[in-house]
Amino acid sequence: MTDQSIAGAGGTLATAAEGDRSRRARIVILLLCVGLAAAVLLSLMSGASDASAISALRDGLFGAMPGDEALSARDRLIVYDIRLPRVILGVLIGASLAVSGAVMQGLFRNPLADPGLIGVSAGSSLGAVAVIVLGTTVLAPLSSALGALALPLAAFCGGLVTTLLLYQIATGQGRTSVATMLLAGIALAALAMALTGILIFMADDRQLRDLTFWQLGSLAGATWQKIGSVGPVIVLALAAMPFLARGLNALALGEATAGHLGIPVQRLKYTAIVGVSAAVGASVAVSGGIGFVGIVVPHLLRLLIGPDNRYLLPASALLGASLLLMADAVARTIVAPAELPIGIVTAIAGAPFFLWILLRKRGVIDL
Amino acid sequence: MIEGRDVSVAIGGRRIVANVDFAARPGKIAAIVGPNGSGKTTLLKALSGDFAYSGEVTINGRDLSTMKPVEAAALRAVLPQATTLSFPFTVREIVRLGLVGGRSGVLPGEDRRLPERALARVDLDGFAGRFCQELSGGEQQRVQLARVLCQVWAPVLDGKPRYLFLDEPVSSLDIKHQLIIMNIARDFARRGGGVIAILHDLNLTAMYADRIFVMHRGRLAANGSPQEVLSDDLIEKVFDCRLKVGVLPAGNTPFVLPQSAA
Repeated sequence: MTDQSIAGAGGTLATAAEGDRSRRARIVILLLCVGLAAAVLLSLMSGASDASAISALRDGLFGAMPGDEALSARDRLIVYDIRLPRVILGVLIGASLAVSGAVMQGLFRNPLADPGLIGVSAGSSLGAVAVIVLGTTVLAPLSSALGALALPLAAFCGGLVTTLLLYQIATGQGRTSVATMLLAGIALAALAMALTGILIFMADDRQLRDLTFWQLGSLAGATWQKIGSVGPVIVLALAAMPFLARGLNALALGEATAGHLGIPVQRLKYTAIVGVSAAVGASVAVSGGIGFVGIVVPHLLRLLIGPDNRYLLPASALLGASLLLMADAVARTIVAPAELPIGIVTAIAGAPFFLWILLRKRGVIDL
Repeated sequence: MIEGRDVSVAIGGRRIVANVDFAARPGKIAAIVGPNGSGKTTLLKALSGDFAYSGEVTINGRDLSTMKPVEAAALRAVLPQATTLSFPFTVREIVRLGLVGGRSGVLPGEDRRLPERALARVDLDGFAGRFCQELSGGEQQRVQLARVLCQVWAPVLDGKPRYLFLDEPVSSLDIKHQLIIMNIARDFARRGGGVIAILHDLNLTAMYADRIFVMHRGRLAANGSPQEVLSDDLIEKVFDCRLKVGVLPAGNTPFVLPQSAA
């Protein structure tokens, strides 16, 4: 017995880090930080005009060089008022979509849960469209009272109602039925889209143009004002998510077991649902429906660093932001000088990826 | 002490457990036995706070229904009958989850080594890096037990006894590992903790339990020491089959031999 335990102690010494992926996760997060910084710089430097981000940044930091004031004034305008807001918005939305996906997957205990896939985005869209179309008539008091916040707030409420409904329908006795979740998501999305359709039917020409532009999903038209209205919501929601990480890890063992481990499960679930709805709602409000970021990013990262949410959530934020910036770069340049809606780019890349996940999981997960 | 007074549980209008009085003392193993569907797991789930119950359940004198999850988690750990994992965690990552409440009872610096020590105790040395989903059923059961052990590593903390709730802890284990796991339970009790275990093997129960609670159709049919409880008549009535209870020459431990179905 003593011999055995001594041998056991020696064995554990030699393999102390076995099965512990936290070091690898930290390295990956570090690399993702570098990657995001590169993506930000690249996005600032590239665009339809030849404005130089380098000189504009240098001017901003050290003051204008004598002799090139005229040029740098134009460059500054392009870089600071057109490209920079767009980059910031891209970072915020990419991070919010990816983290929302990861949190939802933890909450539903399923790697296929994604706000876009299960109707949360559709619910948010309904809220947003309601404000755009009815903002001047039925909802006029609301939109005049809330100003720029009316749109993100309505999108948030739409997403929240959908998520709550979905959770109630799909979860019973501590178990979430995946089939029910996906099918209920389809039904709720269809309902939300039908209601959205009614609103579109009621819309006038000017509203229709707003709607089309918005619905395709795009980061174009990013302004500091938009960032001001949805930025705080997204930042707040993202800041709350890391506190859920340990609880979501425990939830992987089931609700009852998470409770036995000391996790306040009900509070965790509602915090996660409200956080996801806020983040998705705010994102949808400014950029329309951008799909697949929430499912692709966490899935890739789980393959790389494992499902520990303490690392998965920050890594998802970083990779989601980087990927969305890159998708936006593609969207801006591939049909230049015109611009492709970014939702198309993420769908073209993301849908095959989703099918690939399904093929890999066939027989492993039980729908 | 874990005490249940007049505990009843109804699910969907049906009474699954009716008017059960229960007590698990520190230093002892309390076994719950009974045929399938007799309410064993439901009783355990009421005692661990998973199911709404009527009556009263106390842990060390405190009313369970007024305790927060984190407070209850500091006093007892629960091994469920089965655990389904939703993501590809490694064995080490699963066992570590037992430390989430931070009340294992070892010094903060030793926390990091605890998963390995717990795995060694359940005879899973060297499994830390494996993926849970690739393990056999019996191995997975032991991984979960290692996690549970981490949660209440010290059987007594701050002078208060702590408890292990084990729902069929040896159901998918070979005979050697059944004994290893039951020895862990006994060791936990000897060091001042309390154990509540649902068991099916009456001989294992006779060997290890200090007190046996026999469930029959949602009610408590008997409770007492193995010598008091294990009798031909009671077993035949409760399990609805013919058995012969004997006593080993050495010591006083009863054993049960099946004869035939009723």
